[in-house]
Amino acid sequence: MDLSIPLSILCAMAWGIQAVFLKIAMRDIPLYGTILITLVINCLIVIGLIALASEKGFSEFRHLPGSTYLFFMMAGVLNYFIGRRFYYSSFRFIGVARATAISATYPILSVGFAILCLTEKLALRQYFGVVLTLAVVYLLILRGKK
Amino acid sequence: MNRFRGQFEAILASLSFGIAPIFAKKGLLSGLHPLSGMAIAILTGLLVNIVFVFSTGEWKKLVLSKRQGFLFSFIAGGWNTVAVITYFWAMAIGKVALVVPITCIYPLFTVVAVFAFLRKTEALDPWTVLGTIFIIVGIILTV
Repeated sequence: MDLSIPLSILCAMAWGIQAVFLKIAMRDIPLYGTILITLVINCLIVIGLIALASEKGFSEFRHLPGSTYLFFMMAGVLNYFIGRRFYYSSFRFIGVARATAISATYPILSVGFAILCLTEKLALRQYFGVVLTLAVVYLLILRGKK
Repeated sequence: MNRFRGQFEAILASLSFGIAPIFAKKGLLSGLHPLSGMAIAILTGLLVNIVFVFSTGEWKKLVLSKRQGFLFSFIAGGWNTVAVITYFWAMAIGKVALVVPITCIYPLFTVVAVFAFLRKTEALDPWTVLGTIFIIVGIILTV
């Protein structure tokens, strides 16, 4: 069996479960404190993995062009600061299950970007997927308003 | 109003999560190992958050927080790291067309975990469960 399948399932499980523990943690810890703690753990484990498992280790960082640093820093601010801030905060207002379902729609944005900026064409099933996802998000928002 | 704010924040989170990989992809064109790229991104997010927590005085609330909250934050952080690492690992050895749709099912695990751990405090109505399933179907059709 392809190892990527159980790894993908483990990834989905871990990402899905962490949201519930975040919600429980945020009963006692402020929002930014929760983001801080999770990022410290992420950081320590990733740096540990580079030290132990990466072939080049930390030497890879020495000769990187400034633009590469800039791209990853932009990704870091968007994903690990702004994204998490809104994602974790939304738990407090609409619950974990609904917040996770809505925020999971980000692949649609990538598709929108591909259409607008790269002028890629979509297959009929992809159009159907985009419409279905956006329609369900809209309905979930309407239910939230009530 | 608060419920509408939650939906809005979840959409903004989705936008941020959707735009971030575009920059990461550009960064990876240099040939950098994904784990090293992830380290730069996480470290940047951490530093920005540290500056924010200290400049806004949020650290005072954090110091006064209960131990139980820290414990659950550590557990969440652990699961979070497992998710990030397994995602990169799966992407490195498997096909993107297979890995991305499978990882997209994570809201289903959230629904199960909410039912298991938050049943008493968070109402899980059939519309949310049905909406989650349809969103996953929509994403799988799109990617």
